[in-house]
Amino acid sequence: MKNFKKLLVFLLSTIMVIGLVACGGKDSDGGSNGDTSSKDDKKEAYDKVVYAYATFNNIPSSDVLETINEEINKITREKINVEVELLPIAIFDYSSTVSLALQGGDQIDVFQSLGDFNNSVSSDMAYDLTDLVDTYAKETIELLGDDFLNATKKDGRLFGIPTYKPYALTPMVVYKQEIADELNIDMSQVKTIFDLTDVLRKVKEAYPDMTPLVPVQTGTSGVNMTIPEVDYLTDDYFSPKGVLMGNDMTVVDYYGTDEFAEIAKLARTWYEEGLILQDAATTTSTSTELMSAENSFCYVASYSYPPEDTAASISAQVGGIPLGAVQIGEAYLDTTSINALTWMVSSTSKVPEAALKFLNLTFTDPDVINLIIYGLEGRDYVLSEDGFMSYPEGQDAASVPYTAQLSCGTLGNFFLMHPMEGTSKESLVWEEEQNQLAKKSPAMGFTFDSSGVKTEYTAVVNVINQYLPGLLCGSVDPEVMIPEFRAKLSEAGLDEIIAAKQEQLDEWLKNK
Amino acid sequence: MDKNKMKKNRGLTKNGPLLLIALPGIIYIFINNYIPMFGVFLAFKDYSYIKGIFGSDWNGLNNFKYLFRQDALLIVRNTLLYNLAFIVLGTICAIIVAILMCELGNKFRVKIFQSSLLLPNLLSWVVIGFIAFAFLNSDTGFINNTVIKSLGGKEVAWYTSPQYWPFILTFVYLWKNVGYSSIIYMASISGIDKSIFEAARIDGASKLKQIKYITIPMLKPTVVILTLMAIGRIFYSDFGLFYQVPMNSGALYKTTQTIDTYVYHGLMELQDVGMSAAAALYQSVVGFILVVTANAVVRKVDNDNALF
Repeated sequence: MKNFKKLLVFLLSTIMVIGLVACGGKDSDGGSNGDTSSKDDKKEAYDKVVYAYATFNNIPSSDVLETINEEINKITREKINVEVELLPIAIFDYSSTVSLALQGGDQIDVFQSLGDFNNSVSSDMAYDLTDLVDTYAKETIELLGDDFLNATKKDGRLFGIPTYKPYALTPMVVYKQEIADELNIDMSQVKTIFDLTDVLRKVKEAYPDMTPLVPVQTGTSGVNMTIPEVDYLTDDYFSPKGVLMGNDMTVVDYYGTDEFAEIAKLARTWYEEGLILQDAATTTSTSTELMSAENSFCYVASYSYPPEDTAASISAQVGGIPLGAVQIGEAYLDTTSINALTWMVSSTSKVPEAALKFLNLTFTDPDVINLIIYGLEGRDYVLSEDGFMSYPEGQDAASVPYTAQLSCGTLGNFFLMHPMEGTSKESLVWEEEQNQLAKKSPAMGFTFDSSGVKTEYTAVVNVINQYLPGLLCGSVDPEVMIPEFRAKLSEAGLDEIIAAKQEQLDEWLKNK
Repeated sequence: MDKNKMKKNRGLTKNGPLLLIALPGIIYIFINNYIPMFGVFLAFKDYSYIKGIFGSDWNGLNNFKYLFRQDALLIVRNTLLYNLAFIVLGTICAIIVAILMCELGNKFRVKIFQSSLLLPNLLSWVVIGFIAFAFLNSDTGFINNTVIKSLGGKEVAWYTSPQYWPFILTFVYLWKNVGYSSIIYMASISGIDKSIFEAARIDGASKLKQIKYITIPMLKPTVVILTLMAIGRIFYSDFGLFYQVPMNSGALYKTTQTIDTYVYHGLMELQDVGMSAAAALYQSVVGFILVVTANAVVRKVDNDNALF
């Protein structure tokens, strides 16, 4: 009897433990593989490709996503014998989610390098496509041409395909039309960033409670976008380090240039006169939020669309307030403007050929790319007779079941997407022309490999975060701060970074 | 020998069910805390996605270099000083609150105060960051717009003036955490034998004297254990507090940058797995050394209260 009791206790506790463990197991299963495992059974004949893209819109629910997958699969099964699973990831999570998924062994076959082409390549995230592209992505290669593909090569090997879109970013002032009309301001007279000061003063005078200029995003007043002909050499304008200016092939310290000193001074003037949002260096509100409010007038940003289209499209995002836009600088193409958004096949992919085949379709098949960007016609969007896209009656980007409309410049081939209502087809022609006409950096095709100076990079990035927003938004005095900033940078190792850049650039020039 | 074995077996049969009950916890700890420790290799590797953790090339101490460059001292100082301030002030405030609560007597009142003190602890740092922003925003914030204006002072650009932030951060930390940590002290206080207080009262000890000579000495073991545990984490900082509350304002880094935010900022751009692992290893090793040292000190001074 006693033994029996013991046995019972033992059995009960065993059951409990097993029960608990089983629960735990199920939980973790449901999170990651739950949705996919059931589908795996159905398809034996098709290679499955997971396509991870960044979305700036809402993440659709899984059953909505399933309907899109199904539509795409109808095309891909027939054309390339592949099944696709779309994996939309919110933009702010994108890089970390993808890199964690790849480390953790989750399947992601196609992903985009968000601004860190080199890093993705040097940490072996990207599959070497050189030998595959001619077979599986021929049309795409022809479409883009060698000039652009050079930007996604490293040591002669191709590691990705740049998104095909308007590359040339033109700096513009986006302003509220009604205020400009009312105060009789002729915005077409604003040709440079320095012309803007008088306009801002006029607005401030008429509306003392108003903040005439708002930042486009935290710490970015836009002044530095207007410095002409800067090649950031694989960094971007949020944190420039060593740069090239114009045709001179000497890498220079961006913060030591006269141009930088001048725009910092300009920003300081604005700040002291109350022309720019006082919290510009730190506010987390975006320009769309700030422009939706009544007490703002304009902001400075770079766009790849013609000014009229830019104004129309942003107007739709700020609740229909009529906006105007005027160009205040010239577009300039460097390697980063091409390869900042590069589509890659992951090195861990088991089906690189299939992945590349699908990637090819996103550049060449209008049906596929429109499904990814706008969803199902009739449910998620409607098409006018002349082929313009708009949301169904009474719906908008936030209420339709599926849309990734704001990602339009990041997915495959932009020129195959239905243009939105309010834009014009001539603009598309203008944009495609700009790609060819825009001035190109003499170092086009050069990419900087920062792996040798990682330590310095980390330190320098921290210093830049500390000083740059304040300088660009005028909240600190450039006379005092620029020298202090530069001393700190130099301590953090900026000189080593510049030297490394120069060395790699010279090497590249020699082999060119 | 045989006898010994039998003894062992008896222990196992006796405690077997208990051990089994503990098994899920042990497995959990093993999977979550021990298996990932193999990742420690990453700190010394030049990580490659193809080669994986064990296949990647060794990288010596290169991954650690950035932790000791330039501002490293300042950052270590910030982390340590903030945590020290939090431990000292946090403990003092929590004990005061706990004692006051226990003296309230009335259950209903205690419930109300306790819930309202606990509430901030349930808010996420993002929300708290925006509450602070509503106070400190230089254009529309409550302090600049209402308090300073009505006193006739000059407006302060809070998010660009690093000198105020040690006070702001400490205040925000205490506001969020005191309610929560006082619960543990309340529990200890209610565990004190009531007859001791009674005896003291009969001897004519005032309330203050009772607190001074009974409550606080009785709380000492709890304080020591909690402090030792806090010291183990002294090299870590509450990321939310130092990132969200100052709104990640670059101008404040002098006083708000801690090891965690420094690592985050630096690696946001590089996304280097090895360097992040190096930072974590550095933090745990220093934390470990500090705990062992602190424990040794406690053992010297007061052997009964040492953790191990």
